[in-house]
Amino acid sequence: MSDALLSLQGVSKSFGHADRRARALLKVVFQGLAPTGKPVVTDIDLMVHRGQSVGIIGSNGAGKSTLLKLITGVLAPTQGSIETHGSTAALLELGAGFDPEYSGLQNLHMNAAFLGLSRSQIAKHLDEIIAFADIGDAIHEPVKHYSSGMVVRLGFAVVAAVKPDLLITDEVLAVGDESFQKKCIRWIEGYLANGGTLLMVSHNMYQVQKLCQRAVWLDGGAIRAEGDVFDVTQRYLAFHERKDSQAQVETRSHGNQAQYALTALMLNGVAEGEAQLGVGDTLEVEISIKSPDGRAPVAMVGIVRADGTPVYGVATDHEGIRLSLDPDGQATVRCTFDHLQLLPGGYQIKAHTLDPEGLRVHDTLERPLTVVGQTRELGTTRLAHRWSQPNPHVGPTTRSPS
Amino acid sequence: MTQKPSWGLWWDLTQREIKGRLSHSAMGVIWLVVTPLLLLGVYAFVFGVIFQARAPENFDFPFVVWLALGLWPWLAFSESTLRAAGAIRQHSALISKIALNRSMLVISVLTATFLLQLVGYGVVLAVLELMGIHLAWQGLAHALLVLVTLYILASGLGLMLAACQVFIRDLEQVLPIAFMLWFFLTPILYAPSFLPIELQPLIWLNPMTWWMEALRSALIDGQAIPDWRFIGLLAGSVAVLLVGAWVFRRCSPYFEDFL
Repeated sequence: MSDALLSLQGVSKSFGHADRRARALLKVVFQGLAPTGKPVVTDIDLMVHRGQSVGIIGSNGAGKSTLLKLITGVLAPTQGSIETHGSTAALLELGAGFDPEYSGLQNLHMNAAFLGLSRSQIAKHLDEIIAFADIGDAIHEPVKHYSSGMVVRLGFAVVAAVKPDLLITDEVLAVGDESFQKKCIRWIEGYLANGGTLLMVSHNMYQVQKLCQRAVWLDGGAIRAEGDVFDVTQRYLAFHERKDSQAQVETRSHGNQAQYALTALMLNGVAEGEAQLGVGDTLEVEISIKSPDGRAPVAMVGIVRADGTPVYGVATDHEGIRLSLDPDGQATVRCTFDHLQLLPGGYQIKAHTLDPEGLRVHDTLERPLTVVGQTRELGTTRLAHRWSQPNPHVGPTTRSPS
Repeated sequence: MTQKPSWGLWWDLTQREIKGRLSHSAMGVIWLVVTPLLLLGVYAFVFGVIFQARAPENFDFPFVVWLALGLWPWLAFSESTLRAAGAIRQHSALISKIALNRSMLVISVLTATFLLQLVGYGVVLAVLELMGIHLAWQGLAHALLVLVTLYILASGLGLMLAACQVFIRDLEQVLPIAFMLWFFLTPILYAPSFLPIELQPLIWLNPMTWWMEALRSALIDGQAIPDWRFIGLLAGSVAVLLVGAWVFRRCSPYFEDFL
């Protein structure tokens, strides 16, 4: 249905060893081989078709910028092949290609030439570029006197005039002020609506979800997940929230010496690993407990966000439930959340045992839960609600696209 | 993917380089005329007056003429090659962010420097003419052709050195010294005939001797028609350019790794 504008096959990139320069030179010149060294990006396969918008997400140092540089041709891959069809314009970094000594206007000419515009094309688009950048008389000032926001304005304005088949941006929009960011987003939306293709790196998941259909999660130089933007960004966010709370989790780990010990924590009948759920699915939490003294302890179930923020917690004694022990002192209790209205993201399900008085926590077990789904609702929980308009006769209802 | 060389971009960059060179100093264009004349004055004083350097016996002009004919082409060659060698490092910010044909950056710096020195050459020769020293102007076209081959030679060397300098930074320190040595090994301040007789054949091993001789035979002897020696210069310079461009093409994908 659509042709590939960009295809990467088995692309890897290693940066040459900085201390073996002379050897690298001989190897490159006489053998035509790429210098070997520290791998930054390994074995990337990626296809971007015309009209798609793809977000690249990942932690710092995951290889996102290197990947973009490979795609734009600033870097050459050590292995693999990269094919592009059609025109490409990249906003790789703030003020890339601007000479601080020259005026904005001169730099604008040069930058447009770098992007492949001829002089007549530049002349044709000049007013449009200046109007888009909207930095007033500063256009005649040297770029070294510009604020970073003004540099981005100018850079984006040039790219907007070029209208490439494939637009590549690397976290540049974060610098502009609110109104310019909105202008850029509007422009990108219009560009996408007219069949443009976008490849963007961003740490702003909201922006990625808003602008992209697909997302690629890079981790340690390799693709960790790829697919629908909501799915990938939610898994990415969940991963980070868990990483943040890892230290806490470790200190609260399962204590073997506990008197009232937890022996199992099953989520929807599965004993291990990460559970996955859609918004509104049912969650069954089953806790197995061993009591050494024949007294029935209190069981507690809690849901926290992956970063540790509590969402909900409830204990058996709150609701007058008494655990019945079998002759070996074992008990199993199940807590069912029908139509669980957690919003997509990463969560931890926690189970605790407390002494029969419900005073002291004896044991804790945790299991990760990821809720997936396509929704732009915010927060952790979907609350029952309905919309209404008190004065429906005032005029016809209009829906704004934003 | 590699970007094709673009003449439009080459000329834009060259213009920008020239404008930058001229506009960053207060007197701009005036220096273009004043600097070569000051330099000529200094050389004339030091070598003509202090060292009493002399022109060869069958040479009808003062020593400064002998000097001037060789010095500016040499300056054009050496300064443009040295600047070109540093061009990739100088433009490292651009290279790491914009995909463009990197050889354009080298060649534009080189072209700008070469042209500015040639303007100096023109100024000096014009002033000598005004002072009543009449050169053989019928050889001017031949001399310009020789300068074109010198430009081709500088381009080839510049591309090669620019690529190597990215990998081996020490070149930045070594090259100016090497070029200074080369300057003294080239008959610019002296004539080949001043050397001890047994060393004279050796001076022809230095290719720059051939360029200097070609320029002098054009502008002094008035040799208007290029002969086999010019063919040699052209072939040699084109060969160096081909090798330089080949080395550069091989290295350029990896510049970012080592910048």
